Amino acid sequence: MENAYPNNNSLSLSHGRVKLNVGGKLFETTVSTLQSGGPDSLLSALSNRAATDPNPVFIDRDPDVFSVILSLLRTSRLPSTAARFSKQELIDEALYYGVDSCLRTAMSPPPLAGIDASVVATIRPAADGFPSSFTASDDGSIWIAHGGQISCYDWSLAHTATIRTHFEEVTSIRRVWPEIAAVGSEVAPGLHFYDISGGRHVGSTHWTDPSDPRIYKARVMAIADSTDSIFASFECPHKENSIFEIDKSTLQIVSEFGRQLGSSAKNMVAGKLTWLPESNGVVGSSVTCGAFGYAGYIRLWDPRSGEVVWEANEPGSGRSSRFGDSFADVDVDVDESKLFKICSKSGDLGMADLRRLGEDPWVYLRDKNYSMWNTGGNESSVIRCHRGQVFVGREGNLEVWSRVEEGEEGGADRESDEIYRRNYVDKLEDAQRGIIKRIEGGGDRLFVGREEVEGIEVWESSNFAVAIPVT
Amino acid sequence: MPSLATSVLAADTLVSGGFPRSKVDSNIVTINVGGQTFQSTKQTLALAGPNSVLSDLSDLHPSQIASRFIDRDPELFSILLSLLRTGNLPSKAKSFDLRDLISESEFYGIEPLLVNSLSDSSQFDAFNIEKSRLLELNGRDLPSVIAAGLHGSLHVAHGSKITSFDWSLRKKSTILTQFPAIDSLLAISSKSAAAGATDFSGLQIIGLEKGAVRATLNWENATKSASTVQAIGSSNDRLFTSFESSRRNSNCIMVYDLHTLRPVTEIAHFEIYGAEIDSAVPSTKLRWVPSVNLLMAAGSHHGLPGLTGNIRLWDVRSGKAVWEVKERADCFADVTVSDHLSAIFKVGESTGEVSYMDLRTLGNNEESWVCLREGRRLNGGKKEGFGCRIEGHGSQVFCSRGGGVELWSEIVMMESSYSNMTGDGLRGRVFRKNLIGRASDMGGAKISSLAFGGNKMFITRKDLQAVEVWESSASRL
Repeated sequence: MENAYPNNNSLSLSHGRVKLNVGGKLFETTVSTLQSGGPDSLLSALSNRAATDPNPVFIDRDPDVFSVILSLLRTSRLPSTAARFSKQELIDEALYYGVDSCLRTAMSPPPLAGIDASVVATIRPAADGFPSSFTASDDGSIWIAHGGQISCYDWSLAHTATIRTHFEEVTSIRRVWPEIAAVGSEVAPGLHFYDISGGRHVGSTHWTDPSDPRIYKARVMAIADSTDSIFASFECPHKENSIFEIDKSTLQIVSEFGRQLGSSAKNMVAGKLTWLPESNGVVGSSVTCGAFGYAGYIRLWDPRSGEVVWEANEPGSGRSSRFGDSFADVDVDVDESKLFKICSKSGDLGMADLRRLGEDPWVYLRDKNYSMWNTGGNESSVIRCHRGQVFVGREGNLEVWSRVEEGEEGGADRESDEIYRRNYVDKLEDAQRGIIKRIEGGGDRLFVGREEVEGIEVWESSNFAVAIPVT
Repeated sequence: MPSLATSVLAADTLVSGGFPRSKVDSNIVTINVGGQTFQSTKQTLALAGPNSVLSDLSDLHPSQIASRFIDRDPELFSILLSLLRTGNLPSKAKSFDLRDLISESEFYGIEPLLVNSLSDSSQFDAFNIEKSRLLELNGRDLPSVIAAGLHGSLHVAHGSKITSFDWSLRKKSTILTQFPAIDSLLAISSKSAAAGATDFSGLQIIGLEKGAVRATLNWENATKSASTVQAIGSSNDRLFTSFESSRRNSNCIMVYDLHTLRPVTEIAHFEIYGAEIDSAVPSTKLRWVPSVNLLMAAGSHHGLPGLTGNIRLWDVRSGKAVWEVKERADCFADVTVSDHLSAIFKVGESTGEVSYMDLRTLGNNEESWVCLREGRRLNGGKKEGFGCRIEGHGSQVFCSRGGGVELWSEIVMMESSYSNMTGDGLRGRVFRKNLIGRASDMGGAKISSLAFGGNKMFITRKDLQAVEVWESSASRL
């Protein structure tokens, strides 16, 4: 319903009316419509001037694009005639009139629902198109590291920049400032910072310890960031590893915690780091896969004291019925304060409440989808929490665990594991494109990267039905 | 035809001549929409309804003529003004996207007129429908059941999800339910549906916007075990649900008020004792027959003697079955009732033949099915009714057989000429069969369900992860 547009507003009296002559075509609208694009826009500036002038204001722009922009302001949705113009034309024109924020709202995808999403685009960098890592932001933009390059795509998925780093291959990337990427490589030492807009190297941080000769050529394995710190795990050529907190504004090391020798699976470098805004803790996890299956740990540190607040080592902890079923991947749902792990052997999804961690905090979610009975277990699995849903990639298959809405009578006695349902996000033919290597959520988009596949898939939900015409 | 009424009225006022010219002119309303001037009459604009911006405008005093300005797109308005004038969309509407027209009609409060002109059930033309599009479903679950709602909106259950399409089939939304899979689905309003499953207890009334369960209806059976839903049906004001206790030792049909969802009565309650098969069969199809105020309930069971079943007509008020037929030989694979044709139609499981029983002569004497013989056999091979679906819509009966749909329609004959033709003096009804679709539309995977709504027919097929839409080309936009 377009009721957001109040009737009395459109029925405005004559003095609120504005005549515009755009490229020779006459338009008539109201001051309030022109001002709905924001107080700083060109159109609202024009509307102020026009109030006293009986002659139409002349704007030397294309009238057809303007009619789309005017419809957008009137109805706060894009008319279908917008399809006649390219995304970039519309964005440029909206920028000219200063109403780009309206356009952005209208062009953004609806809330992401894994149960109803499809591939809307595949982003393919022009060269070296095999992404090694990527980082997504809340506005739905994505920075992709491919080979030694970083390509940036903005909220509309338009390509904005590609820069070349000194690395041969960037294997971890994190957008730590709006224009600054923190990058690391498994083959070259140091955490480096690049300014994307200028394409310049702006700083670096290295793990050095003159008192310990084993510490040299430390490479970055994982990067996380909080509002004012960056956390990075470093590993030396002989597996010694540690985590550093780096100040975001000075790019200097603030503290070090979790240093370990790396002599066994239980003290390998953390391959994944997540900062928890609620408790200001850092969750790190490490997984190795060898001849005897998966092994690894999940640890929660308090970066201020450097203490381990909680940890789980697998195999070797947890309930006896789950022995030999160590996790294959872990992710944190930061908004819900929950930890999810995907079991390597059974394929089950385990959930732990970060506020109530203990000896064995795991709740194993039950799977009730008949069509998925024969799946799970002994597969390459990745897990990513986004928008209150848990996305799991198993080989090439993409599935989602989503919570069922409960009614007013949805009893409190119901066990928490009963409210998750498992569904495929993709179709069979999607799964055949390749093994899913990495999943990232950004805004209402899900980005999926596959092994040995060029480009990144973009998954979105849509309110519009896809109808295939039959003729 | 609103335009007709308006123009006649205008002509009257002119012809009678008693009115001063200004009075006639005051009937004409000039509006400026987005910089373009339109002229129409108060009567035409009044068709938009009292809450519309348009009727507010026509109520303005002539001195406020300058205020008759609407800050909307003039081109879309010209389409909608034509709709107000004629009740139909002009052909130039084809150059606009329907989504724009819908959202604009919502603004002017005339969406119902748009619905009427594009998706009214009176436009359903059984002889003239063709496959028009496929509605895609995301994910991998195949549709298990579909339910058509008002004006051709559609709800599709696939896996634990329900995807709803609006009447224009342009907008969709998907919700997640608590059911692992849904077996029965009924559209209650544009915002809610009733869903049930044969392996999950209770009937849920689910809000289709967020997926919140508005109510869970359960049958309190004697053994206090949970009860599963076998079928759902509805009349104007009642909701019927066929429940079976999960121990499968009792079943009944619960009658609820469709609006308050309060239980009204319980009918067809059977407790199973011993080996009496008949009472152990819950109803798996419920159809309300408005003309006689009866509920048709049918159920079947695969046992040693093959498929057996029963069909009953229930008087909901008294709770008594007014008529019953036990199906022994050639039990129905599917059965339906056509109120328009006053007959029950079935497709036999073993023969695959379509038969009917006239509702008007039920209980007169020996009740038996009248088999609809086919004059020409299109596929001479063995006929099988297994998996066939039969549904009545309007004055036709649609029967799916494999990947095709048969259309059975009644031909009303002059009585004398008909008895001359048959020569046996028998008084029977004449039904004839057509296959729906052009040669290019024929075939395809086996049809798993049929539904009708607005001017459309919806079909789901085995292993097809989409819903097929059939409509007549004239009404398509």
